Order: sequence, then C-alpha cells, then structure tokens
Amino acid sequence: MPHTLSSSRPEPICGMDTWMPVPARILAIEQENFNTWTFTTRFVAEEIRKIYRFAPGQFNMLYVPGVGEAAFSLSSDPAEPETLAHTVRRVGSVTRALERFKPGGLIGLRGPFGHGWPMELMRDRHVVIVAGGIGIAPLRPVLYTLLHNPDYCKRLVLLYGCRTPADRVYASELEDWENNDAIEVLVTVDNADSEWNGPVGVVTNLLRRIKVDAKNTIVLVCGPKVLNRVAAWSFLQLHVPPDQVFVSLERNMNCGFARCGHCQLGGKFVCSDGPVFRFSDIADIFAKEDI
Amino acid sequence: MTDANTPPHAFFLPRSGLEDLFQILQSDGYQVLGPTVVNDTVMIRPLESIAQLPQGVSDRQDGGFYRLVDGDPELSFEFVVGPNGPKNYLFPAKLKLLEFHVGNERFELDAGQPDVPKYAFLGVRPCELAAVKVQDRVFGVAEPGMFRCESETWYTLARRQALFIAVNCTRPAGTCFCASWGTGPRATEGFDLALTELRGGFIVEVGSDRGQAIVGRLPTREPTVSELELAELKLERAAEQMGRRLETGDVKELLDHDLEHPEWDKVAQRCLSCGNCTMVCPTCFCCTVEDSTYLADENITRTRYWESCFTHQFSYLTSGPERATIRGRYRHWLRHKLSTWWDQFDMSGCVGCGRCITWCPVGIDLTEEIPRFREGGHAKAENTTQSRGT
Repeated sequence: MPHTLSSSRPEPICGMDTWMPVPARILAIEQENFNTWTFTTRFVAEEIRKIYRFAPGQFNMLYVPGVGEAAFSLSSDPAEPETLAHTVRRVGSVTRALERFKPGGLIGLRGPFGHGWPMELMRDRHVVIVAGGIGIAPLRPVLYTLLHNPDYCKRLVLLYGCRTPADRVYASELEDWENNDAIEVLVTVDNADSEWNGPVGVVTNLLRRIKVDAKNTIVLVCGPKVLNRVAAWSFLQLHVPPDQVFVSLERNMNCGFARCGHCQLGGKFVCSDGPVFRFSDIADIFAKEDI
Repeated sequence: MTDANTPPHAFFLPRSGLEDLFQILQSDGYQVLGPTVVNDTVMIRPLESIAQLPQGVSDRQDGGFYRLVDGDPELSFEFVVGPNGPKNYLFPAKLKLLEFHVGNERFELDAGQPDVPKYAFLGVRPCELAAVKVQDRVFGVAEPGMFRCESETWYTLARRQALFIAVNCTRPAGTCFCASWGTGPRATEGFDLALTELRGGFIVEVGSDRGQAIVGRLPTREPTVSELELAELKLERAAEQMGRRLETGDVKELLDHDLEHPEWDKVAQRCLSCGNCTMVCPTCFCCTVEDSTYLADENITRTRYWESCFTHQFSYLTSGPERATIRGRYRHWLRHKLSTWWDQFDMSGCVGCGRCITWCPVGIDLTEEIPRFREGGHAKAENTTQSRGT
C-alpha cells in the first residue's frame, strides 16, 4: 500500500524548536483565479526534503519572514513530497505579503500538522467529495492519491461548487478529471455567465444527480461553514452513517500543535484533533455558533 | 543519609530559621521569589531579604474586592494568593522565543539557549502547586522529570530547576475554594519543603531529596506533640473556613449538558469581557506568537505573549471572530476550565485559588454561577436557540 493510503500520520519536521520555521524556496506561482494563487515550494535543505512526508488533509504553517504565519492546507500530490503546493486566497496580512513574492523567494514552513482524511477507510468504498470554493485545496491530495490508485475505492465522485465560473480553482485539472473515467466530476455555480452550460445552484443540489449507496459511502466535505453544515446534513438525510461523514474545519491556528489555544472548537483543538473531523465526533458542537 | 534511620515526618524550624533558609537558597544560587507588598497588593517578586516578606499583613478578598489589612504582627504568611504566581515566571507573559535573520539559504539563529534563572519559590501556596501540575500537563510533562515537549525550552528548564517551598494555608481568603477540589489548604505533593506557620516558627515537611538536603542544613529540632497538633488543627479549621465552596462532582456533565442554558445570557450581561480572569488564572495557557523586525539590522524576533480568550482577535478569522458575543466567550472560558479541560488533559482546569472571583471587576463568581446551571434551563429542549447578538 502506498504510504499515503495508510493511516499513519507524518509528524512535523521543524525539528527541536517547533517555533523555528524551515526555509523553503518558492519554485512557481500559478494564478488560479482573481484572488487565489498556488505556491509551489521546495525545502532548501536536501535532508529535510528527504524526510518530509504528509498525508492528504494535513496543513503547514507558511511563514513570511518578519510578517508572520498562517495555516494553509497542503494541496499537492503526497506522492511527490519534495515539492509542496499551497493554494492561497488573498485575505490577510500574510497572504498579501505572499502575493508580493516571486519565484525564487525564500519563505518558511512548519509542519505538517493535524489529522487528515481517512484514506484507510476509502478502500472498496464509494467516496463522495464535496468542496466549495477554495475548500477543494485540502481535497486535491485525496484526488491525486485515489486517481493514482484507481482500483482502491469503488467509485469516486467530486461535487464542486463556486460562486461564479471565474471562482473555480484548478480549472484545467477539473477539465482533465471530467474526461477521466476514474472519477465523476460535477461542478455547479451560484451565478452563471453566458458561457456556462453546467448546473446552477448550491453544491448540495448536485446530490440529486448522483445515486448514493449510503451505507457504503465515505463523504469528505470542505468549504465555507454553511456549506459544511448543509452538505453534512444532506448526506445524513440520505442515511450515510454519521461516522462515515468527514469535515475539514477552519480556525485561526497560531502554533499548530495544541499549545496556543486559538483554534479551540469546544474541547477540540482543530490544529491537532482536526482539521478533519468525523461528524459523529463533533455532532454536539458542529452547528453551534459562538462555540 | 543513614538508611537505618528513616527521616522523621516533620521538623520544627524556629522563626529565626527563616533567615537561615533564605541564606541557604541564595548561597545555592537560587533567585528567591516570594510574596511582598507592591501597590497595596501581595505579589510574587524577587526577594533580596526576608525583611521584604509581608509580616503582620493579612488580606480580605471577595468578589471584585481585594484589600490588605493589619494581621498578626508575629506571622509572615497570614495572607493568601495575590494576582500573580509562579506561572508568571515559569510561563512569562512575554517571552522572546527566537531571534534570527534571513541568510541567503537559511534562517540564521542569532540567540542561543535562553538563560533561565534557578528559581526558588518561597511561600508558594498549595493551590499554586496544583496549578503548576496542571501546566506541567499542558506543556507536556508526562511524569515528573519527563518533559516531552521540545518547543517549551523556557518552561522545561525553569521547571526542572525550580525549588518549591510551600506554605500551607492556615487562613483562607473569602474567595478560596481549594478544599472543594482537594488542592488545599494543605500541600500534599509537588513541593520540596512545606511549611505550616505557627507563632514561634514552622512545622516543616519534606517532599523531595532536594528538600531533605536543605532541611539538613537548617537549625531544626523535633516538633513537640502540641506543636504538631496545633498545626493540624489550624489546617483543619482552614478547610472549614473556606470562603467559597463548589460542588465539583457533576460540574463537567452540567456544562456539557446544556450549552444554551439561559444563565449564559444572564452572566454575559454582567461580564465586561476584560480578560482579567484569564490574566490572573494560574492555569490559563493561551498565547500568541508575533513577529517583529528591527529596521536597523533586519533581525527578526518571534515573541510569545499571553493571550485571552475574551478578546475578539483570539478567535479571529477573515469571516470575523468565531466567538463574536460575550456570551460565547464567557461560555468558552468557563467550560474550558471546568469541562473541556478534562477532554483535553484529563484533569480540571480549575484549582480553586479564587483569583478569577477576586479580580473580576464586577465580581462574577463561578461558585455562584455553577449552582444556577443546576436550576432550570432548557433541559431536553436544547438546540432550539441559536446565536444571539452581542
């Protein structure tokens, strides 16, 4: 079994002092849409490149020297851990500072942190991935892994929703996947333009277009808070067992290793208990506000 | 040490021996930290002599109330905890973690290991020892002397070197409720020496080899039976005289059961969200690491500051703060102390020191709040109310 399909969890490589980022070079910057870029990076030190591994759904703290850090999902192929991609939407000081970088720039990384998607549970199951907007980023490593191993799961479905066609990230890959027999891809947008001939509406509307073998399905959800809730509930209504629904959550991680307290969701540390949670483990607080 | 003679259970140190103890600590290279009066408040500070101890000083504490009053002129420890404690030294409110600059291919560290003083905490209270044990767990100390967390360099070193000379509490304050948690008024673990103050001197208990070695150099004698009995009596009475009481048995289930209990709204109307309770709490560990750069030399410093869950930025995401209301923030804090701490660390996050009651500017008192959660509430009809306005 390839490493990324096992349940083992790679530990952070940042060494003795977890607050010291490890330097990495930006190899390429690819614009995904009007406010989102994918940064491909590589650790400067070869010995770090050799030992760094990550599981789909884990995240790194990306560090801009002198500006600060923010948490970003790893969005590249775990089978190629020497180059690491993070898809970054411009929202705050760190992402704005990242935007000013050019290929060759030196940034820092700490990670990988957290628990990722349950790859081991996907064997011989139906896997339905629901992503909204940039929420597809932490799911792309799952897609790469399952597409490398097309016989691993029984069926692979990607339901992807965006505000407009221009909001889509990984647009060219989405097209490739649409032509790939190993995966069924359905993309919907809230607001269509004249060129769009796909579905319009919220992503859960796409559920009508697929038939789900509920007891045998693993559901992976990542998107804005509202999408997470509606998607999770929709699958529960279709009788997917609550311990087969997984959601990746967002909080403002500062340390990454359950020390700083910022990312608490009830009693959970999203950075280390998550960011991917089994629905049944957080059912009591999942839809609570202010928690 | 002769192993034929097991060391006696307790010693008696005459009051004059406090000076000897202080000398020993200093000559052993310890920085002595102990209580002293600062701005009409008993604070833990570096001490140069035992004359700085608040002799003849007592305190009155209540919800939102702290005053020093004249006490028994012959006693040096007739007060209890002030706003600060060992946490301020083991886990400082502001700590430089790293200083480095960006080299061509790497981040070049400019500063080596921190120079952590050898602290001797003199007069540390049993609830403080309990709080150190809580923070040990938070910072990754699985067992005494076993530190697994490599990121906590300062805590690890400071904690390993620190000497704890406890003073048992013979007079609790009005906000104390350590007896409810079993964390006081007598220290049972985590100390090197534990003193119980009597008029003429101290009953001394030994809690470690380091403590034993120090006792061997002190002018102690065997305590008399009446001295031992008096100390026992004082500690028993202290337990009875606790100013506050908390029924702890069901408190986790109580706060897990009804997240929408109407009492959260009521307490939120009084809470100012000032964060005082988190700043004086001996177990609160939340923090933020920030970068700063010098314009002159491009050096980068990463500094860790205490953070409070009562601020907006604590839970800030680009969509706004996750806990936007005072109700949500107070609920998070109280549930963390009394409920979710168990989920995270398998122990209580509260030790009963009463500081959050004393230093709350409006006197919110968790020992008064908890019984209100036992009364009324939505019971089974939960999940019906959603978030409210600020």
